[in-house]
Amino acid sequence: MITTIVVLACVTFATRYLFLAKNLPFTIGPKFQQLLSFSAPCVLTAIWVPIVFMPNGEFISQLNNPYLLGAAAAVFLAFKFKNLYLTTFGSLIVFYLFF
Amino acid sequence: MKVAIKKGLLDMLPLNLAVLPWGLLCGSLAIQNGFTALEAQLMSILVFAGSAQLVAVELMAKEASLLTLIVTTFIISARHLLYGLAIRNKMIDKPLKWRGPIAFFLTDELFAFSHHHRAYQGRLRLVYALVAGGSFYLAWNVWTFFGIVAGQFLPDLTNLGLDFAIAAIFIALVVPGVSNLPVLCACLVSGLSMLYFKTVQFEFGLVAAALLGMSTGYVLQAKEDKS
Repeated sequence: MITTIVVLACVTFATRYLFLAKNLPFTIGPKFQQLLSFSAPCVLTAIWVPIVFMPNGEFISQLNNPYLLGAAAAVFLAFKFKNLYLTTFGSLIVFYLFF
Repeated sequence: MKVAIKKGLLDMLPLNLAVLPWGLLCGSLAIQNGFTALEAQLMSILVFAGSAQLVAVELMAKEASLLTLIVTTFIISARHLLYGLAIRNKMIDKPLKWRGPIAFFLTDELFAFSHHHRAYQGRLRLVYALVAGGSFYLAWNVWTFFGIVAGQFLPDLTNLGLDFAIAAIFIALVVPGVSNLPVLCACLVSGLSMLYFKTVQFEFGLVAAALLGMSTGYVLQAKEDKS
């Protein structure tokens, strides 16, 4: 069992370390770097969008859904104040008001 | 230095708290599936991956083959390849004592704080990343430990809406960076295609959605730069 766990650990670490390895000789040019500059907003959006629109694995069907209203509040607060804590707690309050 | 440590801790704190239910679940699920306490904790200490860990525990309980386990874990973890690529230029000139630990801590959560164009530049920003990533690792392992020792006495916390907290934090991190049309369209394409991939249960959905969004942003940005 422990051997299996160590093997799996190698898999997860390999995916994180591979492109940070020096003996993997390649350079990322300005065009590729430009493409990669969109990776953080895209990946994070691809993670939060299904949580909000498909909370139980199915599409939400009503507009007064707490996930939808909470996310709307989060987008508004984040846009307006650009503050991690304010956005998180403000939208959590909206979410639990309708939960 | 103190400022970097404090900021690393404070920035990661909401995520450290928000993943509590899944940390507990990782611990308790492993025990329920016949793992010893040591094995259950080692999953979080060594494998250190939320969804990949949960899936692996269930597969191991069903006595899936090692190959199935490796392939499944790789598919769920494949998005980290993208994270490594994205920060490669910032990190590659750093010595192994920084690259190793940062790679180990490079979760979705740490990557969420890696977007700043000066991220990882200079000692203070490296310390910041290490503290943020390390605190997440510590929290994940503490929650797992609670799940191991008290899992059977605790209710399932994963349906208390704390997944919304993670969505809220990611929104808080993404939205302020949406400063022009290419980024906005990139996010829209990424989000919409992810919903589609989710409905058809495409296993590489997250990576594919991100790549589609990134390409959209890149093409629009290139057009904007030309005109």
